[in-house]
Amino acid sequence: MSSHGQRMNTVKGKQTSARSKWLNLLSSLRRDQSLYLLALPGILFFLVFKYIPMWGIIIAFQDYSPFRGIQGSEWVGLLHFTELFANPDFALLFRNTLAISLLNLILFFPFPILISLGLNELKSVAYKRLIQTIIYMPHFLSWVIIAGLTLLLFAKGTGLINELFTLWGWQRVDILTNPDSFWVMVTLQAMWKEAGWGTIVFLAAMASVDTQLYEAARMDGAGRLRQIWHITLPAIRSVIIVLLILRLGDIMEVGFEQIFLMYNGAVSEVAEVFDTYVYRTGIEQGDFSYSTAVGLFKSVIGLVLVVVANRLVKRMGQEGVY
Amino acid sequence: MQKVGKRNTRSLAWIISIVLVVSVVLSACGNKEEEQANGSNGNADDPLEVSIMTITPSAVPAADDNVIKRAIEKATNSKMNIQWVSNNIYGDKLNLTLASGDIPDLIMINDPFGSTFTKMVKQGAFWDVTPYIKDYPNLSNGIPDIAWETTKAADGNNYGIPRPRPVTGDSFFIIRKDWLDKLNLQVPETTDELFEVMKAFVEQDPDGNGAQDTTALAAYISPDDLGWGGNLGPVLGAIESSFIGINSSWKWDESQGELIYRELLPEVRESLQYLTKAYSSGMMPEDLLSLKLTQARELFKRNQAGIIVDKTGTMRKIYADDLKKVDPSFKYTDFYPLTNLNGYNPKGAGYNGILAIPASVPEEKMKRILKLVDSWMNPEVFEIQQFGIEGTHYEVVDGKKVANNEKLTADNASDFNHIVNVIDLPWDTTGETDEETQANELFKKVEAERDKTSVADLSAGLQSETGQKVLPELNKKIQDLKAKIILGREPIEAWDTFVESLRNDPNVQAMSDEMTEAYKKRNGH
Repeated sequence: MSSHGQRMNTVKGKQTSARSKWLNLLSSLRRDQSLYLLALPGILFFLVFKYIPMWGIIIAFQDYSPFRGIQGSEWVGLLHFTELFANPDFALLFRNTLAISLLNLILFFPFPILISLGLNELKSVAYKRLIQTIIYMPHFLSWVIIAGLTLLLFAKGTGLINELFTLWGWQRVDILTNPDSFWVMVTLQAMWKEAGWGTIVFLAAMASVDTQLYEAARMDGAGRLRQIWHITLPAIRSVIIVLLILRLGDIMEVGFEQIFLMYNGAVSEVAEVFDTYVYRTGIEQGDFSYSTAVGLFKSVIGLVLVVVANRLVKRMGQEGVY
Repeated sequence: MQKVGKRNTRSLAWIISIVLVVSVVLSACGNKEEEQANGSNGNADDPLEVSIMTITPSAVPAADDNVIKRAIEKATNSKMNIQWVSNNIYGDKLNLTLASGDIPDLIMINDPFGSTFTKMVKQGAFWDVTPYIKDYPNLSNGIPDIAWETTKAADGNNYGIPRPRPVTGDSFFIIRKDWLDKLNLQVPETTDELFEVMKAFVEQDPDGNGAQDTTALAAYISPDDLGWGGNLGPVLGAIESSFIGINSSWKWDESQGELIYRELLPEVRESLQYLTKAYSSGMMPEDLLSLKLTQARELFKRNQAGIIVDKTGTMRKIYADDLKKVDPSFKYTDFYPLTNLNGYNPKGAGYNGILAIPASVPEEKMKRILKLVDSWMNPEVFEIQQFGIEGTHYEVVDGKKVANNEKLTADNASDFNHIVNVIDLPWDTTGETDEETQANELFKKVEAERDKTSVADLSAGLQSETGQKVLPELNKKIQDLKAKIILGREPIEAWDTFVESLRNDPNVQAMSDEMTEAYKKRNGH
């Protein structure tokens, strides 16, 4: 097909390889022009709405004022970053963010996989569909509604569960304003909301497993668990790895809305995370540059984690995300 | 055939791409064009197109074609594009709007001394209206001097029109008189008596339904209330202020000749112990920290709490009509404002937020906006939101306007007070029923009583550079700690440790010095 380009490479050798690469590109551009054309709107979309706005991060190095604009604002170098690292609350923010993220990784991440494995074993299609529909539903509720539901159910004074507890003569439990239970509560909340939705991609991966493999395994006397362990899990391994790497990129993001809505004064020392801090400094106090610096710092950590994890996975002989 | 097909796909691809690209570009440009259209108000006789952002107290804000809005527009020759924002989130929404740089022509700044607004004022982002006010009789005469005075920025200029409020009738305790009568209790006059009343409201079944299901004080602590009443918000802050006897974050110490930061005062500790005890005895909602302003109000409206903190004039609009549905025996006069507690009640600052105009608005248009507010304050225009439209909202009986309040509320009439409000009586004057007249008599008496003991915020309008920088974080720390102590999570000793650290904090020291200096300068010491 692209014999032209190949020939150029072999004949002229390394010195002209840069030039030949360009020619290569041009010829493939000409050949697949309609495909590239179709991709153009997508490329433009990312340029206009994702890449160009990224210039905004330069305000992290300025004393930005929305009134003066980027051109008129003063440059301050790395001041906002040093301010962040010197902030006595920095360690606290880091701890909370990481703790909630890790809990997510340990409890939340495997949960949809477990559910999918269970659903995959169900024989009755109708029953499976029913379960799926029910567990998808919370995904479509907004965090505002879920926070409201949580309040209705768990509020210490008027919550339904506490009303029941008093009816049974038990102690009222304090969940919403208890720093000890906050991390677990938000993790469970996220699991309830998103775990069902998370099963979609795993179920899709499982559906593509060749059924002959199961039949063969059964002939060899493998039980249900053996089949899961030796066939289903290896089959979805690459999907799990890709999702895990992507999840690592978001390790500094713990879901602003959820934390913000569940936040209150009594749990502040465990609930203040980078996301809420960025909101408070940036939006509530109008320190746009500082909060951009915090956001940038967060993203850099995410980027580093993704690159490192991707390398590791490739070294282990698996396919990474890129 | 194949060749033709290929050409077809290719041209199809071209068409799709072009359409998509054009739509992306157009959508990016759309806003600009619109803005230009809005900005050009070429002819001075054309209606003034003006975008406005302010608070709405209603769950469903006035629609764009609201009859009262239309009538005001017609009377003031304007076309208003109003963004109504819920009370609960106004602070955040305001900061977001300021951050976006795309600021409405007339924007309500709830705290003219907040850090974002002050910063932007310093950079020249808003019009200094000081030189223009004299040209508008209603602005210069209709808005009291105290409101102009207390909203002055650090440089002595006014960067917005204050929304005047009476200095009397500031938010203070309002108690259910029918509950007091039922339990044979006197109107409380000290914090100790208030405690006894709250105790009775919790334990003695004031609503008479046979169950201990009432709380006393419709209180809440919200991060939105940082800086308010010792960072505890209007309700618990009113208790703390009654202990201290001041309506300010600063107290003048005559012997030292300086201002003392509120949190360093021993009375704060006392009030914390009081509140801790009150909370553990069930005198306020258990979910104090999860509630918002509107939810706390709900408690009172649903006959579940006997005491709230609010302005006397809020009686019917916010509480009484709803409460009557739950408890038909409730009378307007049962909405009983306290005159003072420990001899203290707060004097208002004379304003509730200011209306600022961004500097991006051209001078001519800015003048027209001032003119709009000015003519809105004319009695015949202001009466539109007070009484509505004749035949629809009111009838003239014996030469007096008698309004149909339900219809007025349904049409969001009083919401427009959150743009322009003519300072007059702090209570409703639209009704003519006996019950209402009696309530108004009562309120007048209370106001007169309050006037004798009310304490003004002596630091209103004073600013400290260090305070601007450190207060947002400090206020949050203070609120968190106070909340934890009230909930019983931390012992009162934690407060002592904190106060000790405040005393040694160089920032607090610097802030106190700057405030003292500003205070002395203003008071001519």
